[in-house]
Amino acid sequence: MNKKESILKKAVLATIGHEKRQKIAIPIFSILLALLVGGIMIACMGHNPFYAFYNLLQGCGIAPKASYAGYKGMITDFMDFMDNLTPMIFAALAVAVALRSGLFNIGVSGQMLAAGFIATVTVGYSTLSAPIAKPLVIIIGIVVGALVGGLIGFLKYKFNINEVVSSIMINYILEYVISFFINTYFVDPVSRQSKNVSAASRLTLCDVVIGNYKMDIPLGIILAIITVILVRFIMNRTVLGFEMKAVGCSETAAKYAGIKVGKNIVLTMFISGALSGLAGVTYYLGYFASIQPKVLTSTGFDAIAVSLLGNSNPVGIIFSSFLITVIGKGSTYMSSASGIQQEIASVITGIILLFSACGAFIRYKTGRLRDMTKTGKEEK
Amino acid sequence: MNSIIIDGLSFSLPLFIMAVGGIYSEKSGVTNLALEGLQGFGAFIGALVAVLAAEKLGGSSSVPFYLALVFAMIGGLLFSLIHALLCIRFKADMVISGVVVNTLAMALTVFLTKQINLSHFKAPSDKFVLGVAGKITIPGISKIPVLGAVFTNMYPFELIIVVVAFIAWFALYKTRFGLHLRACGENPHAVDAAGIKVGQIRFIAVMVSGALSGLGGICFAYSISANFSPNIYVGYGYLAIAAYIFGNWKILPTLGACLLFGFARSGGYKLVQVLGMPSSFQDLVMILPYALTLFLLIFFSKKNRAPRALGDIYDKGAR
Repeated sequence: MNKKESILKKAVLATIGHEKRQKIAIPIFSILLALLVGGIMIACMGHNPFYAFYNLLQGCGIAPKASYAGYKGMITDFMDFMDNLTPMIFAALAVAVALRSGLFNIGVSGQMLAAGFIATVTVGYSTLSAPIAKPLVIIIGIVVGALVGGLIGFLKYKFNINEVVSSIMINYILEYVISFFINTYFVDPVSRQSKNVSAASRLTLCDVVIGNYKMDIPLGIILAIITVILVRFIMNRTVLGFEMKAVGCSETAAKYAGIKVGKNIVLTMFISGALSGLAGVTYYLGYFASIQPKVLTSTGFDAIAVSLLGNSNPVGIIFSSFLITVIGKGSTYMSSASGIQQEIASVITGIILLFSACGAFIRYKTGRLRDMTKTGKEEK
Repeated sequence: MNSIIIDGLSFSLPLFIMAVGGIYSEKSGVTNLALEGLQGFGAFIGALVAVLAAEKLGGSSSVPFYLALVFAMIGGLLFSLIHALLCIRFKADMVISGVVVNTLAMALTVFLTKQINLSHFKAPSDKFVLGVAGKITIPGISKIPVLGAVFTNMYPFELIIVVVAFIAWFALYKTRFGLHLRACGENPHAVDAAGIKVGQIRFIAVMVSGALSGLGGICFAYSISANFSPNIYVGYGYLAIAAYIFGNWKILPTLGACLLFGFARSGGYKLVQVLGMPSSFQDLVMILPYALTLFLLIFFSKKNRAPRALGDIYDKGAR
């Protein structure tokens, strides 16, 4: 019994115990556990979990499907996947920036919707040519998102309103108001969504024929990579990034050090909102070309899982958003290929989130375990 | 006028009982953003039991309804254990834990509803149809002008909620346990010094909030939507949170806040009907409770005082 326990302890320490490797080891541990739980659920329903997970990869153009329609191939699926990945990266960055200051931006979806809607009605329905329209869409997205985000920060700073509550309220208000405007003025009677935006304003080049394949090329992904580097630079190398971190660690200590906490909160939410705005335009004027009324996209909520999984680290976020998007996007193909309910994807995402939330506890426990084995050795 | 009161009450009372649950949790020092997920999960379990029971007992019986209420409370209670474990045992950030519980509840219930419908009822559907609970009118009192409307066409759960809320109030303010609970939210170290286990009390408080949220959730499922579907996640939990913040973490003012939300909503609907506006204007009315919440929070958030140890993870060794 004792021997078994000590082997177990050693195994735990060797895998997730190392202090420096924990940053990567704990997320991987959470993912594996979540996949295990998801796999068991799939097996209980009488499907082969490995085949189901392979379907996820197939749906995203990472593994080849059995057959393809004309002009379509793995690269088509992969480009579509990248197109879906772009808003997720932006949204997760938005959550991460806010988390750095200890703020929880759960209103990403609302900010995305607002930015997407304003960009749609101003530029999307205009006749501007592509070189003017595309940058304009991006700028409008940034500005609108930043304003909504900034408002949440302002409410927190000026009136002490919990940002989670205020952003949820603003989410619903935006959802209903925008759905009212879409249904009254901009509805497409056939699709019951807003009318499609002009091709010139879309951030995705549609139906480009390269070689034998027809594909959609997402322009936003380049912007997303640049933004990741930029956010990383701001967070790690500038005074602003340092101040944000200080406020996040301890508001009182930051105040004592002469940092203007209120200004910092508003500014953080402003930046976070701008990133959500970018997510919004790459989603509603990129991946899609229209807005469905009365629906808030799940991207903004999945982004929380992505951000927690990536340790709120901009580079980590690229990997974690890749993974969560594979699960989310691939589930459509999985449900048609193996007949498993598509919603299993969000269950797996939820479980990943659950295990990553325990990260602090695992760190604490393994730390104590390490100390205990150390002292144990000394006694011998 | 009568319909405003009737509809308003059926919206605000479930909201109120959820808010009471939230007060329990927060008074003990555990931030509870999980109300939304807890009410959804409770409603899911309740609805599942009701649908299964109705299958066995036949349609017209009212037993499934009461079974649903009980099981919704149990379901909410069980799911709240996740939040309690994460916050108290695993020392996770309470806000993050709340969001985790919400996400998980939403994902699980939507998935399970579809799966159970498919495998048990052989129908591809994402909801459990419950129907609307039978309404009762209390003879005599209902004849009083204006006030009588309160007792006209009531849902039976409204009475239950009032009774449960009264018990909750009594337990929180008039019993030794309630005193301990409130002390945990103000000064957990003092409670610990008095020889009472802080973790245990907080655990119970979170479980109570889960049970009450589940009750609130199933009441919404039995009245407004008449089914359990993903539509239950429209922010009732967050409205309840706003209500008790606005009510300064006290039960009676919170009831006032909930009534305000309920009447704003039903009044708005009535207005759309009376003015004969197209139905798309209902979307604008739908924002009334949310906008009102935000507006009121602007005025009351600063003055209100949250429990002092709210959101702090209790650490015995800390000074």
